[in-house]
Parts: sequence; C-alpha cells; structure tokens
Amino acid sequence: MFENTKCECGHQNPPETVLCESCGKPLLDEGDQTPLEMRYDGVARRSQKANPNPIDLVWNFFSSVKIAVYLIVITLLGSTLGTIYPQENTFVNLDPSTYYKENYGTLGHLYYLLGLSHTYESWWFILLLLMIGTSLVICSLDRVLPLYRALSKQQIRKHLSFILRQKASFADELPADYRDNPSAWVEAAASRLRKKGYKVYKDANGTALLAEKHRFSRWGPYINHIGLIIFLLAVLMRSIPGWHMDQYIAFPEGQPVKIPKTSYYLLNEKFTVDYYQEEEMSEEFREKGQAVPKIYETQAVLFRCTENCDNPVAEPILEEVHRHNIIVNKPLDYKGLLAYQFDYRENPVLRSVHASLKDKKTGEAFGSFDLSMTDPKPAYSVGPYNLELKGYYPDFQLDANGRPVSASRDPNAPAFIFLIKGPGLAAEGEVYMYFPRQIDKERFRQDEINGALGAKLEIGVRSMEDVQISAYTSYLNVRVDRAMPYIWTGAAISMIGLIMGFYWQHRRIWLRMDGITLSLGAHTNKNWFGLRKECADLLNQTGYAVEAKSLDKGGKSS
Amino acid sequence: MGNNRKWIQIFILLVILVIGGITLGSALFRDHSVPGTGDKAPEFKVAGLDGQTHRLSDWRGKPVVLNFWATYCEPCRNEMPALQKQMDKWADSGLVVIGMNVGEGQVTVRSFIEQYKVKFPIYMDPDDAIRKEYGVLNYPTTFFIKPDGSIHLIKVGEMTETFIEQTITGMVGR
Repeated sequence: MFENTKCECGHQNPPETVLCESCGKPLLDEGDQTPLEMRYDGVARRSQKANPNPIDLVWNFFSSVKIAVYLIVITLLGSTLGTIYPQENTFVNLDPSTYYKENYGTLGHLYYLLGLSHTYESWWFILLLLMIGTSLVICSLDRVLPLYRALSKQQIRKHLSFILRQKASFADELPADYRDNPSAWVEAAASRLRKKGYKVYKDANGTALLAEKHRFSRWGPYINHIGLIIFLLAVLMRSIPGWHMDQYIAFPEGQPVKIPKTSYYLLNEKFTVDYYQEEEMSEEFREKGQAVPKIYETQAVLFRCTENCDNPVAEPILEEVHRHNIIVNKPLDYKGLLAYQFDYRENPVLRSVHASLKDKKTGEAFGSFDLSMTDPKPAYSVGPYNLELKGYYPDFQLDANGRPVSASRDPNAPAFIFLIKGPGLAAEGEVYMYFPRQIDKERFRQDEINGALGAKLEIGVRSMEDVQISAYTSYLNVRVDRAMPYIWTGAAISMIGLIMGFYWQHRRIWLRMDGITLSLGAHTNKNWFGLRKECADLLNQTGYAVEAKSLDKGGKSS
Repeated sequence: MGNNRKWIQIFILLVILVIGGITLGSALFRDHSVPGTGDKAPEFKVAGLDGQTHRLSDWRGKPVVLNFWATYCEPCRNEMPALQKQMDKWADSGLVVIGMNVGEGQVTVRSFIEQYKVKFPIYMDPDDAIRKEYGVLNYPTTFFIKPDGSIHLIKVGEMTETFIEQTITGMVGR
C-alpha cells in the first residue's frame, strides 16, 4: 500500500504524519477548523509504519503507552500480593513448606504453593519489571528521536492553517502605522519577545517569525526515563553473585561467627541493653510498670580470614579489619558490608573457665589451664600432671539407663570427664569429673563421684574473674547491596528530568504576514494562561488592543 | 536511513533479550530451596573426626547414607547400632555410611562413638553450614544418595533397621 505523503510545500513526510514536518500543514483533516493535535509536533512515531514485520510488531507492542500503563498496573497489583503474608526471606530459620500451613491454614499453604511467599524473586514479577524497562526504552526512543528531529529543523514560515488552528491564535490587519512596512512590526515584535527571554528566528524577507523558549523542558520526560532505566538495571544487577545479600545471623558474645558466603567473621565482644530509669519515664509508662529499653549496643569486631579459610581441618587465621559499636540505625559499615542491630536474647551461659589444679589438702596450685565450653581441647598439661579429656557433656544428664548424656548442645550444665596421670596416681590414670558450675557440682555430687581422687586433687576456679560468661546473643541483619549507588544515581537523574518537565514549559509563537494581515499562533505544553497573556501583552505593546481571553480558541486543555 | 533504523531496533531488542535472559534465568535457577528427592546432593568439604578433609564427591560411584545427628538427640542414639550393622552388611557393595555431627565438639563426639562402638566415618559440621545447605531442621535426618550423586530418599526421624535395609535395597536396585 502506498500513500501519497508529500506535502504541498514539497516536503516528503513519513506515513502517518499528522502535521507536515516542514510547513506544519495539517495532512489528515484539511477541512477542519478545530485546534490541532500538537502531540510530538505532529510527527510520525517510529513505530507508525506501513507493512510491519515481526520485529516491528514487537517494537510496536512495547512502544504503546497504553501497554506501559497496563504493565505498571499489573506490576502494582502483583506486588500487593507479596504483602498478604510475611515473605520467606524475613525469617531467620524456617521451613516454608510447613510454616504457612501451620500459621495461616489452607490459604497460607496455597499462598506458599503459588510461590507468593517469595513474590519479589518470582520469575513473573521479574518478567514484569523487565517488560516495563523494555517499554520505557522503546517508548522513549520511539518518540524522542522524531521529536528531536522535528524541533531541531523547524521551518519559520508555517502554513496558514497551522497558525490559525493553534489553541491560542490571532489574525487581524496590522495597526495603521505599520501598514506601509510590515517587517517593521515584525522587528518590533522580535525585540519585545527577546526581552521576554525568547529565542527569535526570522525568515529571509522578515515577514515571518518563530519565537521559542525553554525547549529543554521537552527532554524532561526522557531524562526521567533514563533515570528509571538505570534504577531498574541496578535492581536487576542485585542478582549478580556477591552484589546483594540480606541475612539474619545470631552472634553469641565472645565467639567469632563466620558470615556465610563471605570471607568475613564477626565477633560480638559485648552486648549491652540499657533500660530507662523510672525517673526518666513519663507518667504513663511508669504506670504500666514496663521496662523500656534505652539502647541496644553490640560491640562488634570484624575479621577477615587470610589463611585456611576453606580448610576444614585447620583453624582459620583471622585479621581484624574493623571495629564498631552497632546501635539501632548506626550499622557497622565496612566496604559495603553492613551489619544492623536486629534483635537480642538474654541467655547467660558459660563460655570458658580458666581452671586451676590444686592440692586439696594444702591448697597449693600446680598450674592452670583454659577450658572451653564449646569445643574443649582433648589434652592439658598442668604442672606435673597430664589431663586427658575423655568426655564432655555440655548439658549433663543421666538417661533412663543411668548413662551420662547431653540434653542439648548448649553449655547449660557442662560436665567434663578427665583422666589424670601424674605423681601419686595410678599408672593408668585416675578419672576425675569436673562440673564448672557450683550448682551442678552439688546436684550431681561431684565429690562423691570422684571419691578418693577428689580428696587429693581439685579442679576449680579461683574467682569469678576466671569465668567467662556469654550473657547475650545479639542478632544482626547483615547486608551487602552494591547496587545502591546506582539506584541513587538513577533516582537523582529521574528527579532532574521531573523537575525539568514540571517547572518549565516549552513555549513557541509563530507569526506570518500575508500582505498587511498578521497571523499569530502560539503553543505550549502547559500554562496556556501564561502564554496567552504573553501574546496579548506583545500585541498590546505593538498597536493592537486585545484581551488575553480572546486568544483562546478552545480545544481540550492539557 | 530506513536500514539503519532497522539495525538499531534489532540491536536494542537483542540487548534487552540478553539482559532479560540473564536476570530471568538467574531468578529461575537460583536455588533458594533445599535439595529434595531426585536433586543432586550438595557437595561439601568438611573435617572428619580422623582430622582429614573429606568431600562428598570422594564417594562418587558408591551409594551413600548421609546421617545428620547429634549426641543429645535420643532417636539418633537409638538408630546408631542399626546404621553400623547395615554398613557392615553392605560393605561388599561399596555402601558408605557417613555420620554428619552437627555443631558439637570433638571430645563430645569421640567419647560418644567409643561408647556406642560406631565404626563408620564421622564428619563434623561445627558451624551448621552443611546442615543449612541440606535444609535439615530436625535430627536425625538421613539422605540416601545414589552412586550418581542424586538423592534417592530423605528420611526425617528415627529409622528401624528394616527400613534402612529396604531403602538401601531399593536404592542399589537389588
């Protein structure tokens, strides 16, 4: 199908052009007198072409603003689905296949089965984001390039019907004093428009004029789109390994914990929770009699593993790299690795003791050794004695058959079984049972178990200074988000685009003389009131008497 | 001009397709789920009680029974003798039983296996990394892994000797 798209001014326009790209003559509805549709200056969008091939069809689909709006609405609705029940990634440790059923019943189970328990990582949600991104790119390109071309080579003398069919237009014979010399009026108008900040272009014989200002505001939406695309790409980049991490980890006091999938270890040296004193509280709080926390603080030390990191047999070698006291909203921040205070639990347990071996009768100490409650070493040498650790029960109990067992892995009631060899003892060694906690010592009758050996030797601590206790476990939210700078950049560019489009308007005024008749047309993308006033002022200062309102030729205001 | 425009279109669509493919692909294949029946058993590298480094792939080509356990877990203690018997029984067919101790100290584990006369290899998972990787939440949990490295069956809870025997029979196809 061929369409004759050549304008009477001689310009060859692409198919579907609304207004001739050169002279502005309306090509589709010549007889009409209603105000013109000026969107994209009447140029054909890229996608508007005859005989589209499959690639064009894909292009055309994404170039439609209607489709873009649908995509955004679907994405909005889709993202609300993720807010019905808590998402899986907000839990530290759970089995999603049972959690949703137990807590929210059949609906919850259905929610899990539909994959809505991880809505924002689901393929369809990411596909929607991708489609919005595609739509942004293609919509913008489809419009911005033809618009750029149209605006950068505007003809000054426009077709009469283009001028008269503008939403703000005016036509009359020149005032009496200018009728001999129409170009003098044009010159007078030009200088007044320049004063108003317009860029003025006149044609060769001085009988037509184009005045224009704030063209850059037309690029605002496209700059906004570039910002959004950067934003979206940055969000997608989070799926690059190592770019994004968000996990909740428990840190008991005094024990470095490896941060999974990194080479870092974090040590909670000390956790503090401080409560408001009664006199600091308001009357209402005092009446409730509730303890109100004032501060949660984790004294954190960050280590990097330098050697033996991936060697399960050897102890990793750690190097301190950073130290920070984490309080709420003041995270530890080391090269993009962030650790936020999230929760805490008070569970005082023994961590280690600095025990001494003494002569029970004389009280003479033979020496001392460090005894860990988490992973004690198998052998110790104390003075003339050798202690071999034969058994360790962190949570000592006797089972139904009277055999010693541990009830859990937590050192709630630690018990150690030593085989001691040394002077004055049997050659094969003698067994000594040690309960570090006084309460367990009495409950399980340490002295009776140890019998004769217990009368000779004693393992114990000298004072509380020899005892290390982990009083709190601090829960931290450990995050890495390398995409964040790009997200901010995208957001900033997007904001610049919005401001350009919001606070300035692209105003244009066309004038042409036909004999002694002046025709004026004006166009803006918003604030028509201001534009009409500017045109009326111009006319009133050059010999006419018009009211701004009379320039309004109706049409839909946008 | 027209030709040029077409190439730009194709180029932009291709870029979108590549970026889209990569992100969608990584979203689809990201393994945020724990391994299930038929999946490949995740590789691990751990210390054994013998002080050596061990990998699951060391046993490729042999059927493996991977048992997550702890000394404080009564059903784990109960099924230890049955596991040991089955290990001895199937030794000819190359069956390997691995006891993956979760989060306990060497001394505790060593005294336990002496007391219970456990001969099969004991591996240590001190910081729960392997447990999390395998999605184990209750003890004991046992993974029956086929010679090709895929998971034949996952059993949560105490097993009887008959159950172990039948499952191994089903797995090695005899």
